[in-house]
Amino acid sequence: MATANEPPTQSSDDENPGPLERWTVGVVNDPDKRSRLYRALFYVACGFFLVTTLFPFYWLLVLALTPNAAILSGDWEVTLPIVGTELPFPTPQGFNVSAFVEVFQQVPFHLYVFNSFVLATVTTVIVIVLASLAGYVFGRLEFPGRGLLMLAVLAISYFPPAAFLIPLFDAFLGNAVVVPFLGIELFAPPRLVNTPGSMIMPFSALFLPLAIFILTTFYSQIPDGLEDAARVEGTTRLGALFRVIMPLSAPGVATAAVLTFIAVYNEYFFSSIMALQNEPNQWSPLVGGILSYQTQYTTDFNLMAAASIVGVLPMLILVVVAQEKIVSGLTEGALKE
Amino acid sequence: MGTEDRTAGPARQTNRSGPVVAFTRWMENLGETGFAYLLLTPVFLLLGTIALYPLLRTFELSLYQNVLSDPEFVGLENYVQLFTGAADARMPGTTTFLPEIAVSSSFPFVHVSGLLRSALAVTIIFTVVSVLFETIIGFGQALVLDREFRGRRWVRAAIIIPWAIPIVIQGMIFYLMFHPDTGFLTEYLASWGLVAPTNTLNDPASSLLIVTVADIWKTTAFMALLILAGLQSIDRSLYDVAEVAGASKWQQFKLITFPLVLPALGIAVLFRTIDAMRIYGLVDSVSGCTTVPSLSCMVVETFNTNRGLASAIAFVTAGIIAIAVLGVIYQQYKEGF
Repeated sequence: MATANEPPTQSSDDENPGPLERWTVGVVNDPDKRSRLYRALFYVACGFFLVTTLFPFYWLLVLALTPNAAILSGDWEVTLPIVGTELPFPTPQGFNVSAFVEVFQQVPFHLYVFNSFVLATVTTVIVIVLASLAGYVFGRLEFPGRGLLMLAVLAISYFPPAAFLIPLFDAFLGNAVVVPFLGIELFAPPRLVNTPGSMIMPFSALFLPLAIFILTTFYSQIPDGLEDAARVEGTTRLGALFRVIMPLSAPGVATAAVLTFIAVYNEYFFSSIMALQNEPNQWSPLVGGILSYQTQYTTDFNLMAAASIVGVLPMLILVVVAQEKIVSGLTEGALKE
Repeated sequence: MGTEDRTAGPARQTNRSGPVVAFTRWMENLGETGFAYLLLTPVFLLLGTIALYPLLRTFELSLYQNVLSDPEFVGLENYVQLFTGAADARMPGTTTFLPEIAVSSSFPFVHVSGLLRSALAVTIIFTVVSVLFETIIGFGQALVLDREFRGRRWVRAAIIIPWAIPIVIQGMIFYLMFHPDTGFLTEYLASWGLVAPTNTLNDPASSLLIVTVADIWKTTAFMALLILAGLQSIDRSLYDVAEVAGASKWQQFKLITFPLVLPALGIAVLFRTIDAMRIYGLVDSVSGCTTVPSLSCMVVETFNTNRGLASAIAFVTAGIIAIAVLGVIYQQYKEGF
């Protein structure tokens, strides 16, 4: 910006006040200085948010690159003198890239990540299909009980997973499902713990409502004429949904899919409970992989950090690529209309 | 329902038979209401088995003792014992789970008699503090992102990234930051009296602070995005008018920005409150459920040994969250769902 032609009157006007007072008076009286102050404040805030959000990732990188022996010997912290105090600021003590290879040798970490991907993908497909049906109904059809049913979806989705855990766990162990308060035993379900089913079912129920609200908004915006045209052409109602309305709402479907995928990949509660032994061949996802470092290899700190970086990478890429979808999905899902 | 008012449907055109065709024809001929309910059946079947059935069954189990061996109906006894603290002795692993917390007088909130009241205190303190700071910092982030500047896309990505990382990795980052062998922040923060200098992750007060900060770090982005959506829906010409009328930036914020963003802010706060009250995974991966016993934590810790008691805790948790859910429902209802 053009700061050169700044009026020199302020400083030469009177010499008596101190620099701070002069500056304050300048800010109050001069809109140009004021806007520069706002700009400075903006950059300070911007920098602060960038540092606070990204520093923990830098910390992981520092730990991963430092050889574990150096971490365990402890004497590797560097302090950064900022505003009078010595702020601790870690820097990598070495450049040990092999930690990223060891991560997969110590524990079959790739299997855990693979399990997470499978669970997230299958859940996303189920959620998109079911939410499409519901989104079509809520967004395009008029029928009695519509508002009530939407409220029911909303209400159910906000109960804590802990409130569902005990009967679900019993059922997934293979114990008979009992009708509440009547004592009638219905049937004994197959033993589902340690299988994808015990996680995909709760995940689908947990993340279905958000997808329903996103798709309801998008499907309701498709003009009736397009659906009618498809119906005249001889398409069934469901055909019109999946071959006309859904493709036309592709951005909305992608949004719901991305959010569901992220949510499943990040889920902790059922992921850690339903895979009983955190074993990768028993479908334990990422959670199990990271926790096995924390509980079994308790001193391999560089590997804990490296594993975390590997686990974060897919989400990092997804955020950079699908940023707009995430932003619009989160806001649509919560603030409808 | 089931009337022949849709006989122009395309299914009539073919003469093929078979169950699929018959089903398609039946579906095509359903009235709008019938069709709506038909499409919603799979959705509510899933929500019913994964959410509604477990919720009812949890309540039923909470009225029993010795659920696994010899179920005995005890009415509200489990709840009474929970609230009076008499149930604490029946908690599993009392040697590790209860006294560790009760003995630690460094933390007045957790020192209340009775584990349930401790858990209530922990959960409510965590929720209030984290949501408060997320709102304030999220507002700041939203104000930064509301401006047009070069690199805005990247700043937004950086702010969203913590939101998109798995809970277990979020936990791992803060675990490593305060682990005695790696934690570079412990000494510095202890010199300010914020955390315990040794055994930081086993100290309830320190751990609660760390968990709260970790949650603020991760979920502020969600708040920021919702507030940003509110900001961007404000009519820009209002600011032009205010500018002409000579309103200062602060007055513009106070009289235009804040009141107009308040509805979005309210919804964001409600959503975050509901979510924060479910806190489990973060606690489990940072310091373990025995150090910071949240409500969900207590359910997970007790359900394997004492189904009845755990169900009572789960139902209390659900009941508390239901209050916030009612808030959301009321908000939606007011907007004419």
